[in-house]
Amino acid sequence: MIKINHVSMKFGRSVAVSDATFDIPAGDSVALWGPNGAGKTTLIRCVLGLLRFRGSISLDGRDVRRDGKRARLLVGYVPQELGFHDELGVNEALRFFAALKGLDAVDTSATLEHVGLAGHGGKRVRELSGGMKQRLALAIALLGNPPVLVLDEVTASLDAVGRAEFVGLLERLSGAGRTLLFASHRLDEVATLARRVVELEQGRVRRITPVAAFVAGTEHGAVLHLHIAAHARQEAMRSLSEGGFSPKLNGVGLLVPVAASQKAAPFRVLADARIAVEDFEVVTSAHAADLATRARERRETQP
Amino acid sequence: MNRLRLLAAVASLLACVPAQATQPDHAAPSADAPTTSTVPTTLGEIGRRVAAAEPGATLVIEPGVYHEHLRLTKPLTIRAGGKVIIDGGGSGDIVEITGPDVTFQGFTVRNTGIDLDKENAAIRVLAPRAVIKDNIVEDVLFGIDLREAPDSLISNNRIGGKALDIARRGDGLRLWRSDRTIVEDNVIHDGRDAILWYSKGVVVRRNTGLDSRYGLHLMFSDDVTITDNEFTRNSVGIYLMYSTGVEIAGNRLIQNRGPSGYGLGLKETDRFVVRGNLMVGNRSGIYIDGSPLAPDVPGEFSANTLAGNDVGITFLPSARGNLIYANNFIDNFNQIAVAGRGNLDANQFWKGDAGNFWSDYTGYDQNHDGVGDFVHESATLFEDLMDREPSLRLFLFSPAQQAVEFVGRAVPAVRPEPKFTDEVPLMRPVPVAALPASSSSTRMPLAAGGAILVLFGSGLLRLVRDPAGGPGGAL
Amino acid sequence: MTTLSLAPNPALRSPPSALRNTLTLARRELRDAVRSRWFLLYTLAFTVLGLAVSFVSAAGTGGSGLSGFGRTTAGLVNLVLLVVPLMALSAGAASIASDRERGMLSYLFSQPMNPSELLLGKFLGLAAALLAAISLGLGSCALILAWKGLRTNPQSMFWLCGLAFMLALGMLSVGMLISTLARRASVAVGTGIFVWLMLVFVSDLALMAGAVALRLRIETLFAASLVNPLQVFKMWSLHAVDANLDVLGPAGLYAVEEYGALLHVMFAGCMVAWVVVPLLLASVVLSRRSPL
Repeated sequence: MIKINHVSMKFGRSVAVSDATFDIPAGDSVALWGPNGAGKTTLIRCVLGLLRFRGSISLDGRDVRRDGKRARLLVGYVPQELGFHDELGVNEALRFFAALKGLDAVDTSATLEHVGLAGHGGKRVRELSGGMKQRLALAIALLGNPPVLVLDEVTASLDAVGRAEFVGLLERLSGAGRTLLFASHRLDEVATLARRVVELEQGRVRRITPVAAFVAGTEHGAVLHLHIAAHARQEAMRSLSEGGFSPKLNGVGLLVPVAASQKAAPFRVLADARIAVEDFEVVTSAHAADLATRARERRETQP
Repeated sequence: MNRLRLLAAVASLLACVPAQATQPDHAAPSADAPTTSTVPTTLGEIGRRVAAAEPGATLVIEPGVYHEHLRLTKPLTIRAGGKVIIDGGGSGDIVEITGPDVTFQGFTVRNTGIDLDKENAAIRVLAPRAVIKDNIVEDVLFGIDLREAPDSLISNNRIGGKALDIARRGDGLRLWRSDRTIVEDNVIHDGRDAILWYSKGVVVRRNTGLDSRYGLHLMFSDDVTITDNEFTRNSVGIYLMYSTGVEIAGNRLIQNRGPSGYGLGLKETDRFVVRGNLMVGNRSGIYIDGSPLAPDVPGEFSANTLAGNDVGITFLPSARGNLIYANNFIDNFNQIAVAGRGNLDANQFWKGDAGNFWSDYTGYDQNHDGVGDFVHESATLFEDLMDREPSLRLFLFSPAQQAVEFVGRAVPAVRPEPKFTDEVPLMRPVPVAALPASSSSTRMPLAAGGAILVLFGSGLLRLVRDPAGGPGGAL
Repeated sequence: MTTLSLAPNPALRSPPSALRNTLTLARRELRDAVRSRWFLLYTLAFTVLGLAVSFVSAAGTGGSGLSGFGRTTAGLVNLVLLVVPLMALSAGAASIASDRERGMLSYLFSQPMNPSELLLGKFLGLAAALLAAISLGLGSCALILAWKGLRTNPQSMFWLCGLAFMLALGMLSVGMLISTLARRASVAVGTGIFVWLMLVFVSDLALMAGAVALRLRIETLFAASLVNPLQVFKMWSLHAVDANLDVLGPAGLYAVEEYGALLHVMFAGCMVAWVVVPLLLASVVLSRRSPL
């Protein structure tokens, strides 16, 4: 369904994607994995035909650069965060994007129900919470039932509950033969949603592995997900780096890979630096492996 | 610039040519006009009846179209008994009156020749005391032409010229040495000029002149009264040259915008009074060139309303001895201009307690005596610059013009010398004289236009209504 | 929740036509514009200022109802010259840059449509909004003036409205070009206001200075003024209302004598160029630049 053929993309001198080549057959679900700056988002934008890259990408045989309009008809896309016009109504947004996708009519209430937004059609977009906005974006992406879903760190700005619900929703959607390409920082998400994982490092495809093998091969014992207020995140990054950790930023805070016996150590570092941790989750590779297994089982039991 | 000046000089020379006493006949009727008459000796139907009539008789002509040229050689009253058309067949003059005391009334006279040299006229009068009344004169070169026909009455005629290029047209009305004639209630349109030559004591009242060159032109005609006329869309409304003792009152001079485009022009005219006239939308409401010539009697301008002209009053630098008071100067682009440079110190813009009303007066009246507390000085930097560099007029009406004027007001160093001063500017306009009667009906189109625009605009906004309703629709 | 309707659609539709997408986007843009504060504010300001101009000029005539093309129209022309370009430039400048800033641009481009459709759609939507603002503003002025007894042909009002709209289109087009080039909406709007200042004041003042200092010939002066769309608008509206340009002195006389009836075509050509050229450039920029 998605053919990525020797794709390279530079921004000025810095290389964002370098000679990436892989295929995603119809019905497959592929996660793009890698640290910030590895080229995940850039590659996704290339797939959508938003950037002028070298190489070629085709969706179901349609070249995304030369035949972009028809190629994008096959794709539903959910970005990390969406800046809708303040005054836009929810139903209105649905109708607008439905028209752009060439749909004559749209059953707004049914569509909203599918993503768990039933009854919110009369609201303005600005009245929705972050999670609800992402659901709306997902509802828009699903308009016209496109065969491909492309998601770019869709849960990064959601809290734990919102994320769990959203991932659950995505899991239900990714069945039924839909092709899924998504970028994520989170091992648990990858384990739940992906069948294969493309690992990116400085723009290069390092390897492509089935999700079970990927989860088994993760080096870290666990990843701490620390929710930290926006103004304190840079300070927290510095403190943790100085404390010997290699933290990564994500939407609501930091991801800190830790050894299984060191799960509490980052808290001490942050406490010394007087940085408040609002919330936290721990994802261990064992947990992730468990998630992956259960996801596979669910898929297999589906009709 | 030089070429322009040269052109102006040539133009004024040309304008002076007929005025030179040595050859006044150049532009005047030929002295031997009667003998070159084109009225034939063979008589038409009306001609036969006229020939048969006794002097002093009254003839009533039956309705019909008469193709003939007519000569009236004796005192007669000749009247149309219905719609009587005398058609000249496109040649020569049509009616020639050579006998005194002729009354010619109610006819339609049409279709003269177009020979400018022979001055083909619809009605030519060559004898005193003619009464030309209630006629329709159309499709003619010259309309009514009086030569040495004093004490005549030209009343309630409608005179329309041929649709010719202005250079090939004749005068709708001409008086030549016809003193004490009364010209009233006529409509003259699409001619060259209505012109008075050497005619004293003439009264011109309640006439309408449209779409001609000079609505009314006086040459060497003294003691003329010009009242309650309307001259619209002519090249020049009223133009006085070398005439003395003229009263101009209650006239409407509107949109006269030919190359010179004066509502009222005064050239070397003396003892004149200009009172209660309305000048609107002319290139220049009033144009004053060397008037008054003799400084002992000031030229008087009062109770006039000058509105929406490019220039309210244009003075040539030579103009002096004018007394301008109790007029309204409303929204003229330039209220007062001096052609070329110079000031207007030799003229006075107030009389006693009464200055003029200036729509651009910026002062106020704290003691409520109806007179502004500060003098009105016309001096905007942009006007001053325009006087110096006429091509800057290109920037009129632009925000940049206002910026310049703002600087002119704010920075004393560049504030120009005032052209004139009104010591006692009026706070309220004097009652506007000579307003056309109806005004309520004519504002309807504008209101309708405005309504259409508003409806159109709100209709566009209704486009945003979401057809399916929902929150997108109801704001 | 049923999974059935969430299954991918096996029947492949064809993407909507360029025209359809353009109209969809235009409607959206018009709707957003009408709901946004800038539109309300500008329309209000334009109408109120127009009414003020009308009232003042009606008052200046001392209630005589006398005003030809005088201060009223001059005032309205002036107002249009000041407000309409500002309105159009800032609307155009904000349009794409603010979408880019919010990430909406790349999101829109991820839909089945082309950049030029977005550009044209936004252009049309904003143009409709501006047209509505202009006709509301000038229309209510006409009503006031009629009520105040001004006897003017409504034709001049229609001309003024139409030409103001042309001017708005040109400035909108320039604004959108700025918008495609700028990274941030604030920078785009700032640049738009700078361009507005240049067109409204600086270029005219410079040309004036040139005319005085260098004694520019009137041909040169006239030709130079054709470059500025604001001057073109002004000359065109004078020419349309008055069938003449003699009000503008020697340069105006020269223009009428030299070009006569061709002037309408020339003015129209200049205006159309100001609409089309920046829009084409914007389209090129938009399709070449990353939407991020």
